[in-house]
Amino acid sequence: MKKGGLILLLGLLLGTAGFSGFYYLGIAPCRSMMHGPQPELAWLKKEFALSDTEFARITALHEAYMPQCAERCRVTEQQNRKLKELLAKDATITPEIQSLLTERAKNRAQCEAEMLKHFQEVSRAMSPGQGRRYLAWVQEQTVLRGQGMENRHKTGGGSHMMDMTEEPHM
Amino acid sequence: MKPNQNPDSDERLRKVLREWVVDTPLPPRFQDQVWKRIARAEAPSESSFWSKLARLVEVVLPRPRIAFSYVAALLVLGVTAGSVTAQIKSSQLDATLRARYVQAVDPYRTDSPQP
Repeated sequence: MKKGGLILLLGLLLGTAGFSGFYYLGIAPCRSMMHGPQPELAWLKKEFALSDTEFARITALHEAYMPQCAERCRVTEQQNRKLKELLAKDATITPEIQSLLTERAKNRAQCEAEMLKHFQEVSRAMSPGQGRRYLAWVQEQTVLRGQGMENRHKTGGGSHMMDMTEEPHM
Repeated sequence: MKPNQNPDSDERLRKVLREWVVDTPLPPRFQDQVWKRIARAEAPSESSFWSKLARLVEVVLPRPRIAFSYVAALLVLGVTAGSVTAQIKSSQLDATLRARYVQAVDPYRTDSPQP
């Protein structure tokens, strides 16, 4: 019984050790990315196989882009707050509301243009193949994402309500 | 009944048995105790599983070929399960970081981006 019990225990121990070892080895790259200073950029480096030089250039571009993005977010937030106040005051579309909506749309267009410019700069900092792949992917995830709305009208089953959940991040 | 027994003594025994009256009362919860004993008597089917398992560990497992196969099988199982679980976890972390990148660069993106 003693020998059999030892073999039983050895098997269980080796199985557990094999599981733990391969699990921690398998997730080690992701864990190190998550604990880095900029995990999303570390992901970009891995996903688009960036060299250290390319990564340094892209990090610089990203860091230059973020304050501008934050400023545009601040403006959007102000416009949203103002719009909310005006809508609470008037039940009709006043010239002031109309003007604010136009300004808001202009700000969004400006924001999207700056975003695209940034994506193009980032893609140029990559190797040509990876740059094309990055650009196609990131455009699909951001500025081209609204295409579902047009398709909804084509199918005829969707509602005409605007998606009010979209708010810029701060 | 044995054929060489005396029929007279047999008859006497019968008579004595007929006259014998049991006047001792049954112990308390007699029936309950009987059922418990029946249940205990039926229990060996469960304990036989453990005794079979003990016998397996005691007699079969120490055989070199069986022992090696058992240890190797558990090791392979552990390694495979660990790798598969790590892959699933890595994919989840990857998706999280991808979403974080998109949300960082797109101020209008608040939901989780598609893969």
